[in-house]
Amino acid sequence: MKALILGMVLLASSTSAVAATTAETSTLLVFGSFRNVQNAENWAARLQTLLGTTIVVAEVDRADGTWYRVQSLRAETLIARRAESRGIPYWRLLDSEVALERSSRAVNPQAPSRNPPPIRIASETHPDPAQHKVSTRFRTPADWEVDLGVQSRAFTQSGFAGQDRFQPSVSARLEYYRTWDNDRQSLTVSPFLRLDVEDSERTHFDVRELFWSRVGDDWDLHVGVKQVFWGVTEFHHLVDIINQTDLVENIDAEDKLGQPMMHLSLVRDWGILDFFVLPGFRERTFAGEDGRLRLAVPIDTDHASYASAAEELRTDVAIRWSHHFGPLEFGVYHFSGTSRDPLLTPWLQPSGQWVLRPHYTVIDQTGLDAQAIVGDWAWKLEAITRSGLGDRYAAFNAGFERTVVGAFGSRTDLGLVVEYLFDERDDEAFTTLFEHDIALGTRWVFNDLSDTQALIGFIWDVDTDEYVINLEASRRLGDAWTLLLEGRIFGGADDPDAGALLQSLADGDNKSASLQRDDYIQIELTRFF
Amino acid sequence: MFYKAFCILTLLMPCLASAVTPEERGLQIFQQADARASGFQDLEVDLTMILRTGRGDESLRELRIKQLEVPDDGDKLLVVFDTPKAYRGSALLSFSHKVEQDDQWLYLPAMKRVKKIASRNKSGPFLSSEFAFEDLTAQEVEKFDYRYETSEVLDGQPCYVVTRIPKDEYSGYTRQRVWLDEAEYRVQKIEYYDRKNSLLKTLTMNDYQLHEGKFWKAGRMFMVNHQTRKSTELIWEHFRFRNGLSDQRDFSINSLRRVR
Repeated sequence: MKALILGMVLLASSTSAVAATTAETSTLLVFGSFRNVQNAENWAARLQTLLGTTIVVAEVDRADGTWYRVQSLRAETLIARRAESRGIPYWRLLDSEVALERSSRAVNPQAPSRNPPPIRIASETHPDPAQHKVSTRFRTPADWEVDLGVQSRAFTQSGFAGQDRFQPSVSARLEYYRTWDNDRQSLTVSPFLRLDVEDSERTHFDVRELFWSRVGDDWDLHVGVKQVFWGVTEFHHLVDIINQTDLVENIDAEDKLGQPMMHLSLVRDWGILDFFVLPGFRERTFAGEDGRLRLAVPIDTDHASYASAAEELRTDVAIRWSHHFGPLEFGVYHFSGTSRDPLLTPWLQPSGQWVLRPHYTVIDQTGLDAQAIVGDWAWKLEAITRSGLGDRYAAFNAGFERTVVGAFGSRTDLGLVVEYLFDERDDEAFTTLFEHDIALGTRWVFNDLSDTQALIGFIWDVDTDEYVINLEASRRLGDAWTLLLEGRIFGGADDPDAGALLQSLADGDNKSASLQRDDYIQIELTRFF
Repeated sequence: MFYKAFCILTLLMPCLASAVTPEERGLQIFQQADARASGFQDLEVDLTMILRTGRGDESLRELRIKQLEVPDDGDKLLVVFDTPKAYRGSALLSFSHKVEQDDQWLYLPAMKRVKKIASRNKSGPFLSSEFAFEDLTAQEVEKFDYRYETSEVLDGQPCYVVTRIPKDEYSGYTRQRVWLDEAEYRVQKIEYYDRKNSLLKTLTMNDYQLHEGKFWKAGRMFMVNHQTRKSTELIWEHFRFRNGLSDQRDFSINSLRRVR
């Protein structure tokens, strides 16, 4: 009996050397056996392409004649999984059987025995290479994706209103995508749901996206509920305005609610021109009374008021021109419509409890975002000027990001981010925490197989000495799971005065007072389907 | 008379050939290779990356790639990520340039954000693999200085061996030794030397197939890092040429945002 590896089909010699040594201790996968050596080689070559691994042909002599067995060098789950996903049948060859083959070969490698060997031929079926036709990985015309998340927040102390220290929740995001008309038209549907054990306001459903797209040669048209992001800086997204912030999701304001829109985009030699018509307005979400990371006085989202007589049915508009040349890229826009940032008006309820009611004014905002990449340095600027919310005012974020590739002689990319956040209104700027703040951050990308990365940031108000320390880290657990770790520490402000809550909220030097008991760490596990 | 002139000319030919400096010869070889690889207009291809550590751990990434040939400039690339599923919908747009720095943008679907990548990152790992960004983006002839070294037989094929030196100060390499087969000018092997001029990685390219009767494309690439023992295997499948891809429709920031 002999089990002879005939050929490393279409294979780099270095790969086979590595793989062959591993095969000494591993089980094999068998993909079929053939009488005809040519058939076996064809099938092996086909499988090699389909499975992306080394497939070899082994000659096996048995009482019933010679067989050519198509097999892998290893029995990795990766190979098995790919075979399953492509509908390719396979059989496992056990270690003992492989060992038997090897020992009998070792006894007399030159003289094949005519006795029936104990090893399995595994298959007398003849897989037809033609059945496994070349299939491109183009998405099928319709495609579903689901992400399920389990999240838990742990706070270092209970809230000032006695809210719980632990806040578990689960979330689900679906995405359906379908394309037709030669990929010229598509439909995207993406609903999102979170169920929070503690905070009824954080338990919420939102249609993140639900829109139809038509793509022309030099234009795109999108109609429906959609998300659009503008901006270049890392710590604060000043110019981003199309979508309302889903603040209950995360106070970093990076989660957004779906916005109904008609969006026409023209691609020209002189840049991209975007037109937006935004019918209808989405109110900002705020944590409820039992929630954490909220203002000391609860926000009554059921009684929002508007400057516009059309209230939340006002149609807003925006136009933006963006372009890049050489190392510079920029976008300039004008937005006219309901402010995404509400003013919070104190209101005394009949029960004697104070609440804050959101009031949405109508604003005109012109904004600029620009980034220039010069060697290792990315220089960034976001600036706005806004009228309609008191006097016209300006604000900007400016800074740079520098990346050190292969820091400390490792594979790690280390990014250094420095930004200055400025708002002309100074302490009167009650819609933002960042009026004269310096932000420092380091981004660690470890470039390992689990794609581990971490972002550690520090934002410091140079006038009031308030600060926030931020940590975000993530890594993949296998192909379908991701673990996300997040933490924040707030400091430098006094706790709100329980006897004079409203007054303490109006203190411009103490704007983060409400967050002082909210230091937390959050773990989130997400499964992708 | 004509015959005599012809004889003199043929006698002179070897002298003319030897008058070519190694630098010129190296450049000529790469110009020839570039000429043979151009004219494809556009292509689409599926890529599987298998990342392996020295201990035998594996990780898989599946990508779809569109490439557009740009006359008088470097090519444009659009790369869409399919797996790991956490990165579904992420995409990379890259404009190579002959002389200036390349432009690269990354699309992050969670935030719908397009982020430009600093060109310095070109020497960093591409998706944690042993391939750097600069190993995968279009290798324009103008980006290197060349020096022909020798000719030798590699795996039974007579090959030119040419050293090329990146002109870009941000490249992660001091030099690369490239083996191209004399028959078709296909890259068979590249040795990469790091900033300290020691051998860092070796790339072998196999399973060349002829497409459209003109374009040779490697079906497999195998990169091994000699310093870490990590390796990355690339499997290129389903090459499709001349799909009528358009600059504005398929390779703009807008296409990066809407790509799936």
